[in-house]
Amino acid sequence: MPKAKVNGKEVEFEPGMTVLQVAELAGEEIPRFCYHERLSIAGNCRMCLVEVKPGPPKPQASCALPAADNQEIFTASPMVKKAREGVMEFLLANHPLDCPICDQGGECDLQDETVGYGRAGSRFTENKRAVEEKFMGPLIKTVMTRCIQCTRCVRFATEVAGVSELGLLNRGEDAQISTYLAAAVTSELSGNLVDLCPVGALTSKPYAFSARPWELTKTETVDVMDALGSAIRVDARGPAVLRVLPRVNDDVNEEWISDKTRHAVDGLSRQRLDRPYVRIDGKLKPASWGQAFAAIAAMVKASKPERMGLIAGDLQDAESMKAALDLFRSLGVANIDCRQDGSVLGHGPRESWLFNSTIAGIDEADAIMIIGANPKLEAPVLNARIRKRWLTGKLLVGVVGEQADLGYKYNYLGAGPEALKAFANHGPISKERPMLLVGQGALNRPDSDAVLHLIAQAAKSMGVVKEGWNGLSVLHTAASRVGGLDMGFVPGEGGKTVAGMLAASEAGEMDLIYLLGADEIDTAKLARTFVVYQGSHGDAGAQAADVVLPGAAYTEKPGLYVNTEGRVQLADRVVFPKGEAKEDWSILRALSDDLGQRLPYDSLEALRRALLNDHPTFGHIDHAPGHASAATFDVGALGRDGVLADAPFASPINDFYLTNPIARASVTMAECSRSVKAARGLLAAE
Amino acid sequence: MSFFSRIGQAAKGALLLDFIGAFGMGLRYMAAPKKTIMYPFEKGPLSPRFRGEHALRRYASGEERCIACKLCEAICPAQAITIEAEPRADGSRRTTRYDIDMTKCIYCGLCQEACPVDAIVEGPNFEFAVETREELFYDKDRLLANGDRWEREIAKNLELDAAYR
Amino acid sequence: MDFWTTPVGWTLLTLGQILLVTVVLLLSVAFQIYGDRKIFAGVQMRKGPNVVGPFGLLQSFADLGKFLVKELIIPAGADRAVFLLAPLISVVLALGSWAVMPFAPGWVVANINVGVLYLFAFSSMGVYGIIMGGWASNSKYAFLGSLRSAAQMVSYEVSIGLIVITAILLSGSMSLQQIVVSQGGGFWNWNMFGGGLKNLPLMVVMIPMTVIFFISGLAETNRPPFDLPEAESELVAGYAVEYGSTPYLLFYLSEMSNILLMSMLLAVLFLGGWQAPFPTPFTASWPPTLVSLFAFFWLFIKTVAVFFANAMVRSVVPRYRYDQLMRLGWKIFLPTSLVAVAAVAGWRVFTSV
Repeated sequence: MPKAKVNGKEVEFEPGMTVLQVAELAGEEIPRFCYHERLSIAGNCRMCLVEVKPGPPKPQASCALPAADNQEIFTASPMVKKAREGVMEFLLANHPLDCPICDQGGECDLQDETVGYGRAGSRFTENKRAVEEKFMGPLIKTVMTRCIQCTRCVRFATEVAGVSELGLLNRGEDAQISTYLAAAVTSELSGNLVDLCPVGALTSKPYAFSARPWELTKTETVDVMDALGSAIRVDARGPAVLRVLPRVNDDVNEEWISDKTRHAVDGLSRQRLDRPYVRIDGKLKPASWGQAFAAIAAMVKASKPERMGLIAGDLQDAESMKAALDLFRSLGVANIDCRQDGSVLGHGPRESWLFNSTIAGIDEADAIMIIGANPKLEAPVLNARIRKRWLTGKLLVGVVGEQADLGYKYNYLGAGPEALKAFANHGPISKERPMLLVGQGALNRPDSDAVLHLIAQAAKSMGVVKEGWNGLSVLHTAASRVGGLDMGFVPGEGGKTVAGMLAASEAGEMDLIYLLGADEIDTAKLARTFVVYQGSHGDAGAQAADVVLPGAAYTEKPGLYVNTEGRVQLADRVVFPKGEAKEDWSILRALSDDLGQRLPYDSLEALRRALLNDHPTFGHIDHAPGHASAATFDVGALGRDGVLADAPFASPINDFYLTNPIARASVTMAECSRSVKAARGLLAAE
Repeated sequence: MSFFSRIGQAAKGALLLDFIGAFGMGLRYMAAPKKTIMYPFEKGPLSPRFRGEHALRRYASGEERCIACKLCEAICPAQAITIEAEPRADGSRRTTRYDIDMTKCIYCGLCQEACPVDAIVEGPNFEFAVETREELFYDKDRLLANGDRWEREIAKNLELDAAYR
Repeated sequence: MDFWTTPVGWTLLTLGQILLVTVVLLLSVAFQIYGDRKIFAGVQMRKGPNVVGPFGLLQSFADLGKFLVKELIIPAGADRAVFLLAPLISVVLALGSWAVMPFAPGWVVANINVGVLYLFAFSSMGVYGIIMGGWASNSKYAFLGSLRSAAQMVSYEVSIGLIVITAILLSGSMSLQQIVVSQGGGFWNWNMFGGGLKNLPLMVVMIPMTVIFFISGLAETNRPPFDLPEAESELVAGYAVEYGSTPYLLFYLSEMSNILLMSMLLAVLFLGGWQAPFPTPFTASWPPTLVSLFAFFWLFIKTVAVFFANAMVRSVVPRYRYDQLMRLGWKIFLPTSLVAVAAVAGWRVFTSV
């Protein structure tokens, strides 16, 4: 390995690294504005200047200069300092002194570097330039006068988000970032532009002026808006969650999060259930916990196990599902389901419902067939990862299902199950790491058993599963789904599925249905049933309920979530539940007393021990099984042969911004939904 | 201490020399002009830097100066200031809440030092005693009203002190 | 027979005298407090009370009114009876002491021949009021203050007693009126200067004794620099911390009247009482009332002078530590006054032959 000396300290580095990276290896911090590890190198801010020997007798931009063997790098020499101070003076010449009203204040790269390299006063006596504000949609507030033309946003939009909607116009002093057509940025990842902007030119519009970074309590947790379980940091002030920022987790989300993850937080303070309600004379009336429990207990006593049911929602933590599962099983209830969308997964080996290639595995995949999914809507961050791989030119993408804009080119193979038949007996393909990305659109149909069988045959035939690689990847859309399937939150012997329960309810054959945060079902069918809704938001489920038990949203309880890869992740509590609301598992624990089936755990720790005892997979925190069991996984045995319908695959997500109760309660998400529809309309009109 | 100086000290004590000296001094002071100020009717001079009751100032146009930068809230060592902000209808950054808990305030003046727009100032008023504790929880209206009432004095003090800043 | 010599007349007369002395005394205390505060303020270059009445002269009466109308608070757990009895005892003893005080020739409520012993008895019993008040308050601070106060008064009473013996030895009587009479004829006959020209060498003993009496009087009345029982920095108001309203007023009144008593006692014992500082043969032809007034005038002057010194000490001397107070009382004043008693007694024995 080549070696270089950084300020006299010798370091070894990988060939191809830049001087900046080598200096970081040596522990030297290089100031930078335009350089970003996950974007291409622009080299236009000139802040990262260093002195290299041998080399020209002038400072070099370290971010764009490949390090050479036996190079000497000086990051703190007088020349370097003088050069950086010069750059800083130029940057500040046109940067307004409006830090007090700037939302970036306190977490601004330019502020921080100015402390190190700024002059006390300005020598620039001319007028500062002023730049027109640009409209970038409901999420991004622009103050373009503050822009220092680092072009990070342009590079992010074109490279990662895959929307060429931003660009740098004009030259020199007149240079400015602009959107084409002055339309909203339509990417589902647009919020990341705000994180990337090193100054306050792009700031979060919903968060505008609401807090300073030093006022916030920062909690590291995971996201539940989609099934990826992106690493996030939630910032709260007092009892209010104010914003969500991404954390770096190279295995899952790198350092991006979707707009829904980031901006649905205002939904956490709207439409909240903060006290129990009981329906009296057709109206939900405020009640005490005791009254609510008594109403449920009376109903349960009068009913029979086969006339009761339990449905878990998409945002539930594993602990509350485990508590609900144990409670209802102890009552003898078999009508238990966590698959609101009617998915057929849940029986058979665990591999059959996991994203076995792992998300990081996309970086190695050389062919992806996307079946019945629109990853851009179902998991935008994952889609960005596919696009990143596609950009390298080593990835072939095929799509069976909707012909949507995914941000990269693909071969369209067909719309429905018919197109899959061609692959069932395709025979081995020449690709090393092929992936079948199976979306819920293919698995939540009446004929999904047959579709799954078809997919399994195709996987077997093409050699998708082999030693060291398991390319059968199921993309879920619900954060709680894999956890639920892992613990067997599916109908027991003779039990009904969600669809079965709804049908039975419509026919008046159900006495009680317990909705654990389940809102994505047709609640009109529940009219003839006594419905208990336990959850955080007053959404569809609560409106149909006869008893409402206020639970905690995902930021208000510690909990385990299993992402689509089977990766178990710990979420942390950011703020306390609203009003009289309680953590969900403790509600179920308290209810179990009233139902005479006391659950055997009094603390979250005891509950987790029970969960771990029954389902050891929950013990592997932050570990995705991936291809570990590829050799013993008989992919061909999945599903059942049957009659296939003609209907094309459709993604389960119609509106990306309104997929769950929190997002539906969010004003920002509603605004986004409107704005994106408008932007799409504008594009379509051309 | 030497033997003789101890003797000397004992003699001095026994003869009450210190006391007699102090007695004389007391008598001299008694004859000196009195320093008493008849407070409600007379008042002592105040420095332009005097840190009294807080006030939020306005520009001459009537626009409030405070831009909700929260620097005063951040610097306040007693954490007496609470600010909440959001964009005003015209898009400018303004506070929706600006509270000072005068029972916490230690009158250190760091808030006015931190303020980039001279909005929060400690004015020359020190006569704001009240009868209930609640009256000392100042809100934005109260502070702005203070600013309006004391603007002339505050502006004069800032002008006088400007040369030393 | 004269009406005033009948038992009824005598009783009325005595009651009248008591009333007169008490009223005059209370008025004096009012102005004494005013003077005390004015002197204290003067030394600190302040104006002192100057709002109520001309020059603030009525300040004490305003304070009196304030004390009287304040709410009487008895602490929870206090012994109510003792709590209320304590200030009464204090004030009764303080006012009772004045019965034997000779204000002028013939001007004394009870001209008893053991006036000095009577005074001793009353001032010693003053400790009871304080101890009772401190104990009945059911507060550890009040109790600590009262213990300090008692210890201090007991300690200094010893040396005061010995010093008074020197004066008794010089005058040869325990009747206060007699002591004053013996000092007549000029300031050189004052006990301070040995009580007569032939005793002039005793001046060396008696002047220090006067000073020690003065200092002990400060300690006896809990005046600064010996105000440890109510030191603000430690015990706040000492034994009176739980008192307010009228009971506190009574304590305060007894304290101030004791200070006045001590000042006057010093004048009586050592400065010739109501005797003028020079021979007064010209008064022989005056009417008796005028002579008495003339004599009272001199006692007044002397008392005021002593009190002035007293107030000045309060203004200029810093407070003693408790151990210093005890050291001064037991290790300096007591031996000194013992030696003085021996010296004066010896002088009397050897010069009277």
